[in-house]
Formats: sequence, structure tokens, C-alpha cells
Amino acid sequence: MLQRMRRHIRSGKYNFTFAQNGLEALAKLREDSEIDMVLSDINMPQMDGLTLLEQIPNVDPDLRAVMISAYGDMRNIRTAMNRGAFDFVTKPIDFEDLEVTISRTLSHIEEWREALASRDKLVAIQNELDVASNMQQSILPTQFPSSPTFQVFGSMEPARSVGGDFFDVIRLGNGHIGLAIADVSGKGVPAALFMMSARTLLKGAAIGSPNPADVLKEVNNLLSQDNDSAMFVTILYAEYDPESGHLSYANGGHNAPLIVHANGSTELLPTSGGIALGLVPNLPYTQDEITLGQGDTFILYTDGVTEAMNADYEEFGNDRLLNIFTSSPPQSSHDANDAVFHTVRTFVAEAPQSDDITCLTLSRGNFSS
Amino acid sequence: METSGQQGNGTWVAVDTKNLKVEGENKGTILVAKTSGRVDGSNAKEFQDALESILGNNATALLLDMEDLSYISSAGLRVILLIARQLQGKSGKFGVCSLSPSISEVFQISGFDKIIPVHPAQADALASLGS
Repeated sequence: MLQRMRRHIRSGKYNFTFAQNGLEALAKLREDSEIDMVLSDINMPQMDGLTLLEQIPNVDPDLRAVMISAYGDMRNIRTAMNRGAFDFVTKPIDFEDLEVTISRTLSHIEEWREALASRDKLVAIQNELDVASNMQQSILPTQFPSSPTFQVFGSMEPARSVGGDFFDVIRLGNGHIGLAIADVSGKGVPAALFMMSARTLLKGAAIGSPNPADVLKEVNNLLSQDNDSAMFVTILYAEYDPESGHLSYANGGHNAPLIVHANGSTELLPTSGGIALGLVPNLPYTQDEITLGQGDTFILYTDGVTEAMNADYEEFGNDRLLNIFTSSPPQSSHDANDAVFHTVRTFVAEAPQSDDITCLTLSRGNFSS
Repeated sequence: METSGQQGNGTWVAVDTKNLKVEGENKGTILVAKTSGRVDGSNAKEFQDALESILGNNATALLLDMEDLSYISSAGLRVILLIARQLQGKSGKFGVCSLSPSISEVFQISGFDKIIPVHPAQADALASLGS
């Protein structure tokens, strides 16, 4: 193991510091504040890996630990995850897997720092709508994953006075895709900074957990700390497995997603109503599951769609949303997205737009042409 | 003319613009803010100023009556949360009442109905806040 590691040390990619047991590891962590992550065996003399895990936050709460355990030792692995381990690898060690795990952990840490830094800046900066609007545009993905079996597409039409919508598409380590749509309260630079930190915290948490409910729980706890500004964000976060078409999703105060079937019939999906994020710490979130069939499209949107208003002060509403595809089922995620925007624009006509309109779509099907 | 601070009995206008009107009313120990029109990102600050002016410095109970409010955005919800926290900080009481079906839906979806006391009508709310 040491020899395999030394090759990377020579390549200069990572710097390793070695310790023989938990006590020695703690001493070295205290000495060297440059260390980002800990890779530790669970079984060690003097102080074992599980005890070490409990001590690590006292040294630096931003340190992340990856544990090494015997294959199939679920009891210790579960204990390690409960004590805050970021990830684990099992013996015999697959070095390719270890490398992926290390780089994923380090990129999580980087995202994390970025998020904490943008959170700190919240206090300092004041209103400039242009800055806010640029920030909002800059965090939106412009390229979307697509494969012979699925497609993703998202777009946002900002209101003239800045609203707070954003969406994200996150490639997760296990080949899964994370899909998020969100609406931040308030406007201006403070809201945009809150949006950026929400987005980065969400991405970091998503990379760290396969469980959408846990992702929202973690992001909520972080956003709720010292949130005197009373800003909050509603988020619907889903994780998609392209192999099986399985989707799990959790809701933090956001509009329920839609599913459009190949025949155009459309349903609002059930969500187990969690509370918007940033308001109250330690809230539980739960998740719902669904499997997309061939030709199904999963649609996430913000209230800018359902609350879009025409000149007679009528809202677009859920019923119009559910009827968009009745006579013309979407052929792709891009198609579905266009249809939503087209129908809303036609309905609103000349009336002014008061909120961002955002839609993110995922289609499962055969796209190999 | 906008007024500020706690008045005697009767009602007064805290804000009156094209889209938003907030009136204060003193009901014994409880102040009622009757809001009509719509609250979104463009007038959330006026909404906040109006509620704060009705509250004044010494008030300990505020009821936000939303019977004639047709729309509230997340920026408006944030103001409600700020006011609720201000009162909480002074061990005061806060509640909202008379939500239209669409505003009731906004409260439900966002989960605000789980952190802000919602009452069906003003009478229930006054009884609850006064107790």
C-alpha cells in the first residue's frame, strides 16, 4: 500500500503524511493545518479509526475522512458513517477506486471552502442588481448530459427585477445525475450570494451523499446557522440512475415535480412536504421514489411558471401546466422545456413578468439516432 | 401621509400604493395589520416598513390579516419571517389569518404553515393571540 501511494507522492499530485495509529494521526493533524483529508484504517493499535473519527472535528471541522475497512464489515462502516466519515473503501484496496474516492473527497472540500467563503461575503456587499443578475446567470449550467438513454435540459427566463431562481445538474461519482431546482427569497446581491452558497453547499452535499433527503438536511443545517437575514431557499433535489431509470427526490418547500408519460398524460408527483431551507436547523427531510419508463419526462419548475400572470391577473396555475402535453407528448427533454416556456409566454402575452421562470427536464428514452 | 408607531383605537393607513395597502388597527392588546393587494420583490421593502411602523417599539402581539391579499412571493414570506422573529425576540406573539386558497397553498408548499401560526379567521386569531 505504501509503495503504491509513493508513486503518487513522486508524481506530486498529492502530499501524504503518514501515521502509525490514531494518536499519532491526531498529533500530526494538530501540527499541520494544511492537511485537507484523512485516510485511515479502522483497525489500528492504541487509538482505532472510529475513535479517531470522533476526535477529528475538534482539530478542524472542515477535515474530511475516508475510512478503510474489511470487505463486508457493514457494522463498522455504518458506525464510521454515523460518526461523520465522508466515504469509505474496503480491503483489498482497489487503487483505481481509491484514487476516484480521494479526488472526489478533495473536490468536495474545495466546493465546501468556496461555499463557506461566499457565505462570509454575505455580510459585506450591498445592492447592485447588475452584479446580482450576472451572478445568477453565471452559476447556471450551459451544457447538459445526454446519452442514448436519457437527456437533460434546463433554462431560466429572469424577471426584470432580479428573482432568485437557479438550477443545477451534478454528475455524481457513481454515474448517477443530481438534478436541482431552487428559488431563493429576496433580491439583490445579498440574495444572489445566498443563492451561490446554497448552490455550492448543495453540490458539495450531493457529491457526499447518495440520499437526497440527507443532502437537503445537510444543506438546511448549514444555511440555517446564523441566518439573521431570514433569507431562505426552496429546493427540489433529485438523483437519477440512468441504468435503471430510478429517481429518488426530496422536497424542501418547493413545487411538486411533474411526470409526463409517453402518451402525453401528466401527473403531479407526490412529495412529502419538507420545509424551505435556511429557516430552522435540524429539520427532517424525507424522499420519494419513482422509476421513469421509456418515453417518460420528469419536469422540475419554479413558481414563476405556475404563478405567471396574464393581463387579467389570472395565474397560469397547475391545471394549465398539466394540460400542456395532452395532445403533443414531448420527444425530448429540450422539447418539453420549450413547450412549457411557449405555453406560459402565450398565456402571459403582454403582461409584465414579475418572477423568474425556470424549468429543468429529464427524459428517458431511446435517443441514439 | 404615513403614520408611525402605535396609535390609539381606530384604524390608520401604514402604506397605500398602487399594488399594496396596509392598514393598522388596534384591538386591545393586539395590533392588526390588514393587508390588501399583492406583495412581491418590488414592494417587499414597503411591506416590511409598513409592518414595522404598525408594530412601533412596544407592541407585543401582531396579527397579519391577509383576507384581501391576492398574491405573496417568497420575498414577502421573508418579511413575514423577519417580523415573526422580531416579535419572538421580545417574547411577543405573531400570527396570520384569513389566507386565500392560493396564499394558503404558498404557505403549504414552502412549509411556512409549520413555522408561522396560521388562523382561519380574524376572530380565532384574536382569541388565540389574546390568551
